[in-house]
Amino acid sequence: MVVFHMDQQIEQLRAEALAALASAGDEAALEAVRVKFLGRTGSISVLSEGMKSLSKDDKPRVGKLLNEARNAVSGAIDARKAALEAERDAKALSGIDLTLPGTPLPMGAIHPITQLLDRAIQIFRQMGFALADGPDIETEWHCFDALNTPPDHPARNEQDTFYLPDGRLLRTQTSTVQVRTMEQFAPPVRIIAPGGVYRRDEVDATHLAQFTQIEGLYVDEGVTLGDLKGTIEYFFRELLGRDVQVRMRPHFFPFTEPSFEIDIKAAALGRGDRWLELAGCGMVDPAVFQEMNRKRGDNAYDPEKYTGFAFGFGLDRLAMILNGVSDIRLFTENDVRFLAQYR
Amino acid sequence: MKVSLNWLKEFVELPADVAALSELLTKAGVEVEGIETRGCTIAKVVVAQILESVPHPNADRLSVCKVAEGGAEPRQIVCGAKNYKVGDKVPLALPGAVMPGDFTIKVGKLRGVESQGMMCSAKELGLAEEAEGLLLLPADSVVGTPLTELFPAETVLDVEVTPNRPDLLCHLGMAREIATLLGKPLHIPEAIRATAGTGSQPTAEITLEAPDACPFYSARRIRGVKVGPSPAWLRAKLESIGIRSINNIVDVTNYVMLELGQPLHAFDLAKLQGGIRVRRAAEGEAFLALDGKTYPLAPRHLVIADQQRAVAIAGVMGGEESGVTEATSDLLLESAYFAPAGIRRTSRELGLSSDSSYRFERGIDLAGVLPASARAVQLILEVAGGEAEPVVSAAGSCVVEEAIVPFRLERCHAVLGAAVPGEQVDRILTGFGLTKAANGWRVPSFRPDLTREIDLIEEIARVIGIEAVPAREQTRFTASSPADQRHDQAMRLRRRLAAPGLGFHEARSLTLISEKAAASFPVGEVRRVRNPLNEDQVVLRPSLIPGLLESLTRNLRAGVRDLRLFELGRIFRADAREERTGLALLLSGAAAPASWRDSKPRPADFFDLKGVLSALALDGVTFEPTTHPALALAVELRRGEAVVGLAGQLTPARARELDATAPVLVAEIDLDLFEAAPPMGRFVELPKFPAVTRDIALLAPADVAHGRIEAVLRGANEPLLVEVELFDVFTDPTGQRIPADQKSVAYALTYRSTGRTLTAEEVAEAHQRLKERLKAELPVSFRE
Repeated sequence: MVVFHMDQQIEQLRAEALAALASAGDEAALEAVRVKFLGRTGSISVLSEGMKSLSKDDKPRVGKLLNEARNAVSGAIDARKAALEAERDAKALSGIDLTLPGTPLPMGAIHPITQLLDRAIQIFRQMGFALADGPDIETEWHCFDALNTPPDHPARNEQDTFYLPDGRLLRTQTSTVQVRTMEQFAPPVRIIAPGGVYRRDEVDATHLAQFTQIEGLYVDEGVTLGDLKGTIEYFFRELLGRDVQVRMRPHFFPFTEPSFEIDIKAAALGRGDRWLELAGCGMVDPAVFQEMNRKRGDNAYDPEKYTGFAFGFGLDRLAMILNGVSDIRLFTENDVRFLAQYR
Repeated sequence: MKVSLNWLKEFVELPADVAALSELLTKAGVEVEGIETRGCTIAKVVVAQILESVPHPNADRLSVCKVAEGGAEPRQIVCGAKNYKVGDKVPLALPGAVMPGDFTIKVGKLRGVESQGMMCSAKELGLAEEAEGLLLLPADSVVGTPLTELFPAETVLDVEVTPNRPDLLCHLGMAREIATLLGKPLHIPEAIRATAGTGSQPTAEITLEAPDACPFYSARRIRGVKVGPSPAWLRAKLESIGIRSINNIVDVTNYVMLELGQPLHAFDLAKLQGGIRVRRAAEGEAFLALDGKTYPLAPRHLVIADQQRAVAIAGVMGGEESGVTEATSDLLLESAYFAPAGIRRTSRELGLSSDSSYRFERGIDLAGVLPASARAVQLILEVAGGEAEPVVSAAGSCVVEEAIVPFRLERCHAVLGAAVPGEQVDRILTGFGLTKAANGWRVPSFRPDLTREIDLIEEIARVIGIEAVPAREQTRFTASSPADQRHDQAMRLRRRLAAPGLGFHEARSLTLISEKAAASFPVGEVRRVRNPLNEDQVVLRPSLIPGLLESLTRNLRAGVRDLRLFELGRIFRADAREERTGLALLLSGAAAPASWRDSKPRPADFFDLKGVLSALALDGVTFEPTTHPALALAVELRRGEAVVGLAGQLTPARARELDATAPVLVAEIDLDLFEAAPPMGRFVELPKFPAVTRDIALLAPADVAHGRIEAVLRGANEPLLVEVELFDVFTDPTGQRIPADQKSVAYALTYRSTGRTLTAEEVAEAHQRLKERLKAELPVSFRE
């Protein structure tokens, strides 16, 4: 009788629990159901206590029934819990406007001149050039005399060059670094020298009194005009694309001989079929080596043994053309609306 | 230099294609910058004479003319111009003539009256840029003559001659160049050849008082000339290259200069008092030149003088008072050599240059001085009559020792990297007027640029062209240099600053700044240029910050309020190092970009700047409070004892001057004081045992800095303490929750052992030791 009663009770509790679960609307209600039926003082636990008074014969059967009921209720709780979680998750992530903009991060940019400069440096490094540098404030000897530009040379006067009160000057070309490098190191030297140079020019849309140049020098035994040509062509091909055309047009510079101006045609320059004069170059004039030997007090740069080439070009005008910038002053005014275009 | 193709054709056969000639010259280093066609190229335009002109019956502004053009009947032309009178000769475009703009003249009616052609202005014929009314032709023009005969088509090249090639500043020199490039003979007309070997006779009437500046001076008297307009051929030739015709004498001197390269000057002999002195000017001597201006001279300027006064600035310009005029009948023709440096200096100092000074300052041919004089005399006698003295009088020497320049074919190959056959070398150098000698080449005096073997190699390179030199791609291993490391360091910093998150834009400002800008952020003694262009560019920037502040204002005015700028570049100070590389930051405006999440982000403050500086991971930098006149809040950046930078917030007054409404935060770091190459990262074993974090909350007087508290904690040498993190700072000015002169600060202290899991007791003991230490060293109490 008791046993039969217990069986019925188990069945009833199980039904009650499942009904309560079905109506439990949130996790708190679910927990309340768990406590009510499965908790230490819950109904099913209490029934289990009643097992003690059962006969040996009944115990296994009732025990089995109890376990089944417990498992059924706890399984149903888990299932209901998962359903509720799923419902909540779905609710939490529904109705979100996915077209809203992303949270902005502060965005910056490296200056377009620096970007071009770094690109140029990487190309020359691929060819085995190392960087060299020297001061902006220079002596007349480094800027002119050492470069075969005598005192009465037209390039050398107060009108075109900024002087300091002590007679030194602001370098008008990065070729000064060639001189400093040769003063310090015997051949072979293979360097590029980027840097700021100064010309006493009135500022307008295409001129600044200060601009950025990159200079190269290679002195070794057996350096030829063919090496210079190969270097220049490789550089512009890497920088501007394989369609680039390079023209080396003989010219005159005091510190190289033969000397050339370098004209470029390339789709990247967007200039149609026009040649664009971009650089100067040439074979180092033996007079430069001789003056260097005089200064060094040795014959390290023996012009009979060594030959070399040098080249130089301005980055500002190239950047203007590559970036389609109409006014060179934009490069020094630091207008963020301009700079932000180079992110 | 303008070069006439017709003139060149007197000396060399030119290719028919002007573009090909231009390309040839440009590729040889004689750059053709422009090609101009002058003269009339339109067919069916003829000289016509206006026979009558009556008002148009239907139009006030038009006239109806009858003109003769050489045909059987006069033509009727309707015309709008007013600048003619009956009898004038004008150009007439006949039906069928194709005018510029591709419009063809036809017989047609204008306001009801037939017009059988068009009378033309100079502009309509392409002879001038601008023209008012009809082109009135000289009265002696023959009716019916095609305009193409009257204004023969002429092509003029605008050539850039490099300063080392004075020999190209004349048509003969240019022709010699072209002949060599084309491999064609140079034809020198008999009249010019006849002047070779012209001699001179020394005279006491010329004194050279500055033989270094003028080693040779010649003069020849020509008496009984008739000064007047030049004949048409002479005028046309000069005008074709843009030289204005003055009179027959001056025109001849210009002609010879353009033909042979020797500047000449003709004086009115009657205006000269006694012999010629080539002397230095007296201090303050004033000279009225041909251009009507008076120039103040000094002893470094050379003048040509008679016994009374200066009559020319030597090699630059003649005098107003001694020039040739219509009244002149006797001439003194000067042909001389002036040293280039002196002419260049004089021309530059006086701001006066002329075709003559342009040539002298580049160097003329000493051996050509006397032949040019003879050539001018030939032409003067031809166009102005008169009688020349039998010989040229001269002072000084014009003897030129032609140098022999050594030349080795193998050296040529070694420099060019291309083998040029010996016969080709011979052909090139011979073409340029050199003659082969033993071991080298004899160089003519008109090529002062050829003095060394390399100069001859250059000539060969120019002629064979760079195309003949194979490009070689061959490298050499080169060790990276300190400059390489510095560049890489700079690029690392730039990338970090520009990356999303930090989001700084790189600025590049001018190095020269104004005195005012430099003074606005004083950092030490400055260097200045002594000849600035303007007051905005005087001082070599001692700091990058003035440039960034200027950029701030410019951006604010353009409406950009949130700014993150940096600049990495050279700065200059009058100290032992003089030049250094700085990195400066400027931060102002919102601390984060505004968005729909946060439409009013807080403005950035000092601690945002400090956060950015920390993010740069500059090795071993600490921040110490300091003062600076431009900064309201300021810290020094230190590495050990060395000050390596400065950071802070601009004084509000200064910020307002710059138009800023938000705090302006700036920092500058001396990058030279950091190692360029970062130390290689070294792995530290990851912790194997869990950490325990305990908080500590303390109440301290407001002036006890966080730095002091942290220093006590870290200085306690508590072995288990691995991290101290400040997580709360609280003050209450009302004094309600904590006293107004106190602050509450809270730290999370993390404990860990590398060898075991810590017990609660161990942690509690360590935590207690730290608390006691704090209490012992600082006036603090704990809030539990």
